[in-house]
Amino acid sequence: MDFQFTEREENFRQEIREFVKKNLPKDYYGNFLEEEHDDKSWEFAMSIAKKLAEKKWLTIAWPKEYGGMGASHMEQLIFKEEVGYWGIPGTTMGISGTGWVGPSLMIFGTKEQKEKYIPLIAAGDPDGVWCTGYSEPDSGSDLASLQTSAKREGDEYIINGQKVWTSAAHRARWLWLACKTDPTAKKKHHGISLVVVDMKSKGLTVRPLENLVGAHIFNELFFNDVRIPAENLVGVENKGWSQLMQALSFERGGAVTSCGVCKRILDELIIYTKETGLIKKSPIRQKLADIAVDIEAARILAYEADWKISKGMTVIYEPSRDKANCDVLFEKVSRIGTEIIGAYSQIDTLNSNNRWRKLKGMVQSLYFICMGMAIAAGTTDTQRNIVGQFGLHLPKAY
Amino acid sequence: MDFSFAQDQELIRKSAKEFFEKECPKDKVRELKEEPKGYDPNMWKKMAKLEFMGLVIPEEYGGTEGEFVDLMIFMEEIGRNIVPCPYFSTVVCCAMPVLEFGTDKQKKEILPKIAQKGEIWTLALTEESVSYEPEDIKLKADLDKDAYLLTGTKLFVSYANVAKKMLVVARTSENGNASDGITVFIVDAKTKGISIEVIPTTARDMRCEVKFDNVSISKENILGEAGKGWEVIDYLIQHASVLKAAEMSGGAQAVFELTTKYTKERIQFDKPIASFQAIQFRLVELLTEVESLKYLVHKAAWNINVGTSNRILNSIAKAKANSVYHRACYQGIVMHGAVGWTEEMDIGLYHLRTKSLEFDAGEADFHKEKIVCDLEQKEPLFLSLYK
Repeated sequence: MDFQFTEREENFRQEIREFVKKNLPKDYYGNFLEEEHDDKSWEFAMSIAKKLAEKKWLTIAWPKEYGGMGASHMEQLIFKEEVGYWGIPGTTMGISGTGWVGPSLMIFGTKEQKEKYIPLIAAGDPDGVWCTGYSEPDSGSDLASLQTSAKREGDEYIINGQKVWTSAAHRARWLWLACKTDPTAKKKHHGISLVVVDMKSKGLTVRPLENLVGAHIFNELFFNDVRIPAENLVGVENKGWSQLMQALSFERGGAVTSCGVCKRILDELIIYTKETGLIKKSPIRQKLADIAVDIEAARILAYEADWKISKGMTVIYEPSRDKANCDVLFEKVSRIGTEIIGAYSQIDTLNSNNRWRKLKGMVQSLYFICMGMAIAAGTTDTQRNIVGQFGLHLPKAY
Repeated sequence: MDFSFAQDQELIRKSAKEFFEKECPKDKVRELKEEPKGYDPNMWKKMAKLEFMGLVIPEEYGGTEGEFVDLMIFMEEIGRNIVPCPYFSTVVCCAMPVLEFGTDKQKKEILPKIAQKGEIWTLALTEESVSYEPEDIKLKADLDKDAYLLTGTKLFVSYANVAKKMLVVARTSENGNASDGITVFIVDAKTKGISIEVIPTTARDMRCEVKFDNVSISKENILGEAGKGWEVIDYLIQHASVLKAAEMSGGAQAVFELTTKYTKERIQFDKPIASFQAIQFRLVELLTEVESLKYLVHKAAWNINVGTSNRILNSIAKAKANSVYHRACYQGIVMHGAVGWTEEMDIGLYHLRTKSLEFDAGEADFHKEKIVCDLEQKEPLFLSLYK
């Protein structure tokens, strides 16, 4: 048993903080999922991504042969936690490439695919920016029912259909797409494949969607006879479902970043309530303590999951457990945060750079983003289904 | 980082688990509810023989000189199996502070009797206010030549009815801060002027009212320094909150496991009720709570073990334990349906202990206040970086 980080790991944490001090303005905090919204934020995020890539921090646990740092999962965990605490932008480059496209390609990709795509991701290059096409208008939680088709014709696949809620599609160079390659398959989970689509392809239309606060994060994609080379198939044709589950488990490994975000908000709230004198009030103290307990509880679980991965153990339900747990944590921290800053929490999140804004706008930003987080990568309830089925071996409910 | 236990720690868990499964099945727990002593002296003797009492007591005082984590593991197993016995009051509340604050003479005299013979001890701390705040220590101890005269009443003292000795926390001075002027006395339970009455409680863990009427205690029988007794109690609260949380974590794990098992077996609408999402989501939320409590306790205990006791973490562990244990029992019983609300099912035995566990070593609000106090004194990271 050992609950401390090694000296090397602690030194790495310090190195990240030095990077923050050097590269991010003092009052900066990159709010979750906002960097895709406007060109200026995106440019800044990509400039930081480039610097992070030079240090190989976008790809800490990746093997060196893929342009990674070849470090342990624990170092990656430390980085992710610091990313949340400091609001370091550019770490996900449109949220797909470093998170799951790269790691999935390492497992399922051909030699050519690995050589073509992975170095661009690792380099923090604009051509290494990916988006992911899973959800469709009629396929959300029941993802396996997806209908977008890829029909093989000679050396090509011809894609038709529609995707929705595609985050960062307006920033991405490539699309990681789940599609139906065998419409006759008896079971819906069969007949699904993963393919790579060039976002510059003819017949592919990106239509922006605004979320409820007006931020442009996700999009609709329309495919009208989009042709891609057959070599863009990832892994085995019609066996894409299990690859997709693997990719999703990578996507759900963000709990420790969420804990970093919440810890920062707690720290900011402590200072805010001290400065305003609110901290003397007993109900405020209880609220602060409540979230302090919840953050520690979520954090220790996230650590446990990453520790298991670092030891080569298979994690089956843990990422889903932690994703669901952090969904709940986000809601609570942002709700309590808004209760504490009071009426100031109604400042428009997109026009918050003004004198009325409190805590760098991070509380109201999280308040409006937390439900998006609770939906992305599978809703909270979808995660609970996974934990029930694979963690507790409960009989399937549906 | 390593969440796993060493082999010898796993052995302690295994031997405790096997011992309690054999010696203290749930029928025995039910029988002991009617036993006026509140514990089984034979089982207690066996526990001493197996050296469970001396887990953290050094060899020179008759123990096996184990580590704090060993004791944490043992408390988890006590909680998992519900073992009605004065282990917490004797070992955690008395032997540990004696080991930390006792003179060599006191340690030599007291600890071997606990470690080897299982002499029963208890802590008389809380009073009418039932709080753990220093200002609520009102029991008076006035110096009269070479002895103090103790007068006042302690409440919810566990197993005082069978204890040979007790640590009594008294106010020896009204001057200064509330935490000044408190003294801890080592008192023979049979001393003249002490009267003990068992309070009927749901856990039947022999909570007593202990009245002191001019009880004369010699100056030699002070633990630690006169007037500085709150140091002893603070030390105790730090350690006891983690160990009580461990006991609750073990209990919550057991409640979760037996509830999950039951929902897989119980058929309604021609299906196991575990196949309904309403049940599944409750179980998953409970699993998350129970697992987070487990690891919070492990981490807090490990920190104490390596000498980096973390006050915030100790309080977080107990605050979390208080909410998780209650929630596990309440949700577990509701998922069982009406049968869960009967004496027949084991889950009720756990729930009868909720309030006893919750108010030992500090209730949730007490610990939450400590957490905020600590947080507000520290400079947050984001402020210190750019200096």
